[in-house]
Amino acid sequence: MRMVLSKIVRLVVVLFVVSFLSFWFVKLIGGNDDLVAKMIPFSSEQEKDRVRNELGLQDPFFAQYGHWVGNFVTGDFGQIYLGAGDNISSVPVSETVAKRLPVSLELMLYAQFLALFFAIPFGILSAHKASSRFDKATNVTAFGMLALPQFVAALLLVIFVGARWGWLPTQSNLPNFPLNPLDNWRYMLMPTVALALAQIAIYMRLLRSDMIATLQEDFITTAKAKGLPTRRVLLRHALRPSSLTLLTVAGLNVGALIGGAIIIERIFKVPGIGGELAEAIFRQQTLEIQSLVVLIAFFYVILNFGVDILYSVLDPRIRHARAVS
Amino acid sequence: MPEPSAEPGEEIIRSLATDERREMVPPDAASLQIAAVEAGPEIAGAAAGRKRLGIGAWLAAIWLILVIGSAIAAPILPIPDPKRDSTLPELSSDGSLSVIAAAPSLDHPFGLDASGLDVFSRTIWGGRASLIIGFVSIGLGFLVGGFLGMLSGYFKGKVGGFIGSLLDILLAFPQLVLAIFVVEVLGHTVWFVTFALAIVATPVLARITRASSLSWSEREFVVAARAQGAKHGRVMLREVLPNTLPAMFAIAILSVAVVIVAEAGLAIVGAGVNPSVITWGNMISAGQADLKASPHIVLAPSLVIFLTVLSLNYLGDVIRARTDVRESAL
Repeated sequence: MRMVLSKIVRLVVVLFVVSFLSFWFVKLIGGNDDLVAKMIPFSSEQEKDRVRNELGLQDPFFAQYGHWVGNFVTGDFGQIYLGAGDNISSVPVSETVAKRLPVSLELMLYAQFLALFFAIPFGILSAHKASSRFDKATNVTAFGMLALPQFVAALLLVIFVGARWGWLPTQSNLPNFPLNPLDNWRYMLMPTVALALAQIAIYMRLLRSDMIATLQEDFITTAKAKGLPTRRVLLRHALRPSSLTLLTVAGLNVGALIGGAIIIERIFKVPGIGGELAEAIFRQQTLEIQSLVVLIAFFYVILNFGVDILYSVLDPRIRHARAVS
Repeated sequence: MPEPSAEPGEEIIRSLATDERREMVPPDAASLQIAAVEAGPEIAGAAAGRKRLGIGAWLAAIWLILVIGSAIAAPILPIPDPKRDSTLPELSSDGSLSVIAAAPSLDHPFGLDASGLDVFSRTIWGGRASLIIGFVSIGLGFLVGGFLGMLSGYFKGKVGGFIGSLLDILLAFPQLVLAIFVVEVLGHTVWFVTFALAIVATPVLARITRASSLSWSEREFVVAARAQGAKHGRVMLREVLPNTLPAMFAIAILSVAVVIVAEAGLAIVGAGVNPSVITWGNMISAGQADLKASPHIVLAPSLVIFLTVLSLNYLGDVIRARTDVRESAL
């Protein structure tokens, strides 16, 4: 229990420092006036001043930071400013996030699932038959997949499957999952595959090397000596300890998945958070970029925290080590 | 750390599973990718026992020399101007007007892009910025990250803890997101992008150096050097550093590949180098406008990136396998 508490303290500290650094970085380098002029370049001076007032840019630094953090934790992530001349309108970032976050989560979930679905059986088999022809072939394939950047995979899919052969839609409105699951899947299939390809290789190779080590343990020899079928030895005895590593790796990999999803969403025009981030970059909405970056970092840190807790709950060795110390 | 091992890939996997898990912000995605490249010695490592390099290593080296050499020699190569005024169609050698976004032909092996510029020539010129970004940012990250990692691996206690939590903050951001953020705030020049990617690479390289120097710092000869009265700085420089370097060199090569891909990723999202500069990423980003009619604009730089990354991964793997004491002794 003490362990969990100290982890929570650490979590809060990291979140605090992340938010402070992000805020300070934008202030330090970006400068106050620049930001507003960049966000709404075609509006009149009065409008710009009004927006500056609204943002409270005259306040002392720490007051601004406090205000920003206060808003942030209560779910107000700032505004997106749109328009020109005297008609500056603003849309809350939180509204966009609420609309787009589920799409990104859906994409990452599919990709993670697909990657594990292919990586686990191939990883087990190539560990079981290490150095066989099958193992070598999967290894070479995985090596090639690791070198294939996600955006190249995505572009190849768009060019051939999407445009040339016209099998799957590339640019249309994403059908909502509950309303139209089949169309939703048709649309999501290519982004998911593009995102999952490299992950398959990562999971497979890590699982393989982990399982090769496990397969040399004494309890595997015992299990084999007892005459258990290979299938049972592999799945029940060998996979179980390795699955913890796999869980950790899958958890850690969400960082790469987030980065990949941003690029993939951009290429496939998927209306997720990554697409929003790219649009914010295009419109020079530095404050929105800041909010989205901090939001993604928070999500990532909290997720890692969750994986960490789950991990120590699952692994009896760690649980015991902690109880003793 | 259990017994000292010179295999960083394995070390990462093991540390994922046990030691490092006590820290809240865990290792990051790029080191995972590196670990995955290194997880199997089956690809390049098969050549490790032999004295001669395999044909794959030679092919990879030749490709890299070709790419780097042509990027350096771009101004004196007999290739069309990559930035010729795009409003004027140019007479090609057979006297016909060049067609905008024409498909590959004998005159233009990679075809023309949407502004009628030669894609082959742009790919060679684009290599300059992309390779500079790749090598310089890893060089920077290697210096800073390697230094920090070495310190925190050698002095385990407070120094290590402090450096560790410093790096944890950087690792709290997903890598691409951090790079986007830094570039957006600083600006879209080649050097700012290089700097941003160096910031992203630093904690990754530091972590891996740390794992390596941790295990070497516990070896007998290090203890012996200390017992003879050698100062910490000297021990680190003369005893630990030379032993960690080969493995670190392999990791650095793999990281260059990750960064070259990251540059293109940034460009696609719109957070890369200013579009007026030719980079591989910018070529892909611009070519996306018309994927259906002229896919060659995008495919040419993509293929070059893929082959470059493949070669870097392969060479990194070969170097790791060759410098791995345990493996090469067999």
